[in-house]
Amino acid sequence: MKKECIAMLLAGGQGSRLYVLTGDMAKPAVPFGGKFRIIDFPLSNCANSGIDTVGVLTQYRPLELNNYIGNGQPWELDRMNGGVHILPPYQSATGAVWYKGTANAIYQNIGFVDLYDPEYVAVLSGDHIYKMDYSDMLRRHKEAGAACTISVMEVPWSEASRFGIMNVDGDGNITEFAEKPKEPKSNLASMGIYIFTWPKLRSYLMADEANEASSNDFGKDIIPTMLNAGEKMVAYRFEGYWKDVGTLDSLWDANMDMLTPGSGLNLLDERWPIHGRTAICPPTYVGAHSDVGNSAVARGCEILGEVKNSVMSTGCRVGERAQVSYSVVMPGAVIEDGARVSYAIVGENCHIGAKAVVGAPPEEADDPDSWGIAVLGPHTCVAAKETVPPKTMLDHTHGKETSR
Amino acid sequence: MKGMHGIIFSYGEKPGLGQLTANRIHGSLPFGGDFRVVDFMLSNMVNAGVTDVGVIMHGKCQSMLDHLGTGKSWDLSRKAGGLKLLPAFAYSESRGTVGPFRGKMEALGSVIEFLRHIRQDHVVLSDSDLVANLPLRDVLAAHIASGADMTCVCTSHPGESGDTYFTLDDTGRIVDTAYDVRTPAGYQSLNIFLLSRDLLLELVEECMAHDRYSFRRNVLQEKGKLLRFNGYVWDGFAARINTVQAYYQRSMELLRPEIRAELFCAQRPVYAKENDAASTYIDPSGECINSLISDGCDIQGSIRNCILFRGVRVEKGAHVENSVLFKNTVVKAGANVRCVIADKNVEFGPDVTMAGHPQYPLVVEKNTKL
Repeated sequence: MKKECIAMLLAGGQGSRLYVLTGDMAKPAVPFGGKFRIIDFPLSNCANSGIDTVGVLTQYRPLELNNYIGNGQPWELDRMNGGVHILPPYQSATGAVWYKGTANAIYQNIGFVDLYDPEYVAVLSGDHIYKMDYSDMLRRHKEAGAACTISVMEVPWSEASRFGIMNVDGDGNITEFAEKPKEPKSNLASMGIYIFTWPKLRSYLMADEANEASSNDFGKDIIPTMLNAGEKMVAYRFEGYWKDVGTLDSLWDANMDMLTPGSGLNLLDERWPIHGRTAICPPTYVGAHSDVGNSAVARGCEILGEVKNSVMSTGCRVGERAQVSYSVVMPGAVIEDGARVSYAIVGENCHIGAKAVVGAPPEEADDPDSWGIAVLGPHTCVAAKETVPPKTMLDHTHGKETSR
Repeated sequence: MKGMHGIIFSYGEKPGLGQLTANRIHGSLPFGGDFRVVDFMLSNMVNAGVTDVGVIMHGKCQSMLDHLGTGKSWDLSRKAGGLKLLPAFAYSESRGTVGPFRGKMEALGSVIEFLRHIRQDHVVLSDSDLVANLPLRDVLAAHIASGADMTCVCTSHPGESGDTYFTLDDTGRIVDTAYDVRTPAGYQSLNIFLLSRDLLLELVEECMAHDRYSFRRNVLQEKGKLLRFNGYVWDGFAARINTVQAYYQRSMELLRPEIRAELFCAQRPVYAKENDAASTYIDPSGECINSLISDGCDIQGSIRNCILFRGVRVEKGAHVENSVLFKNTVVKAGANVRCVIADKNVEFGPDVTMAGHPQYPLVVEKNTKL
């Protein structure tokens, strides 16, 4: 049963900044890039990096995620020894507690990790879009003889204060860590991807749990404590595409990056394939009077109208003379004849009536400050000829319109 | 136990398919952008609740073996039963023959031990050349209700002279079976036969004992007077893929919405092997008109009335019209392709022009670089 390295994937967060999209599902289950869901990225990275044992820590609305992961076969994670395991919080003899923080989630599953008696544990987030070879990071971790290796990337100095910032010495040893510093001393940001030497992490998790003042979080508690204790912590520099899609704007941005040559996010590149569960549906049909350009289209769609600069997920329908531009349309959404959808995220199985208008381009906005992308939660119905203004969010209850 | 066991025949040559079956059996011929021909019959069975399917193979079965794998894609990877691949090696050796099966009864005789272990009361037999989405559950219900000894699925759509034709009486009983007829008349057999396991075993054993091998002569014709064989008429979309022309025309029919609605109806999904291709990307300079497109394509040129399989790349300034491009076809900049069926991994070089005729499409062999 012994494994050299296993991965623990944090997938329990609500993703509250994705608002209506995560009303009924955890953030990692949110569709991405037409064919995929966010969690396909870390799971595929594991599969491609040779990590065959993954614990997925779930807590918030796990139904959709559990259903999607299933036995892990799409990621070659249906294994006799190892494979993917869903790890929800559980009741024990002394009581039952929810996962109090990221570190506590791993703490509560020390038993699971110990089953595999690994030397190293990779702690990953379930809400990042990136392609990364964890085996290369592990090599760096082993060569440096580190207790903890943190994956970092350079971010623009102007944005550095939004991240956890590392200061490193000439050998890449982390000398200082500051969570969202006002005056950053470096522009090396933590990507929230860690590899720990398991016996070290295990003891720090035990100590952290005993400390009642701790918030049981990796970034806030475990990392600073290990650094203060003088543990060897090294940075692993990542160069490539990486995006935290924790907000509606960043989710929309990342989808658009997929359409932009040179953005670094090329899902058609077969050298590092992203695996996902394939929907059962026929190929996409593009009609005789349709016009599709600069768009990604998954299968099972029927496109009769115009689609520009957009991502169409599995099984969507765009009616005649309908126009979709700069939008992310999630699986099963129907956009009826003559409707206009622009700068929008349309949730799963939404229905947009004929000639309805959802969202608007920024150049049409009266007040640039009040402009933003329009977002429809899953199963939202927009009546024929109804208008959903920019920066509006609607969910399927269609109760009140909320502004972000 | 109740229910049906499926048997699919995957052997024999179809010279009419030419290069398309140079390295594969007709059942593993790609069709409809995402599928192999055999996917349709497998899906028909699975959608009717069939859990056990035997595929009798002979000849060029490598691509079929690759495609079927464990049967996982059709939910046929089971602890008990599931998909069973039945290649003819053992049979050929014991008989001392290396030639193909002379007929279905011989093929069934070659797997008689397998047939004896069938758990279900009924067996549905089918060829692997049929593209249709039909309700086998209804066929079973009709078979049981009618009390017939065997039910044969047929269609009133016309076929070719080599096909088998049934004459039905008012009660639906097959009163005559004919083949190789000059002027086809009656109902064209779709070669799906439903009967009880016990009768199947009886017929197979009797045929083996007398070295009879032909299903249509030794069973349909010779037993038709003694036993009650009924016709089940299915007039939905049904394409038997025998020739390049038929392949091309039936493929192009998928561009019609009513045909797609029938073949890909929501109640009975067609299962295909999963793949890892990302979404298709259509460039700002790309133009897609009236086409069926699978995953993982990169379209920068213009395609019109086409069927694109997975991973096809059409470069800027390339024009493709009325064509079927199999997996990973590349059409380089400025190339012009019309009425072509391009097999896997074909590359049309820059400015290459290649054209067939709608009635005589051009097949470009697998891995050809032009």
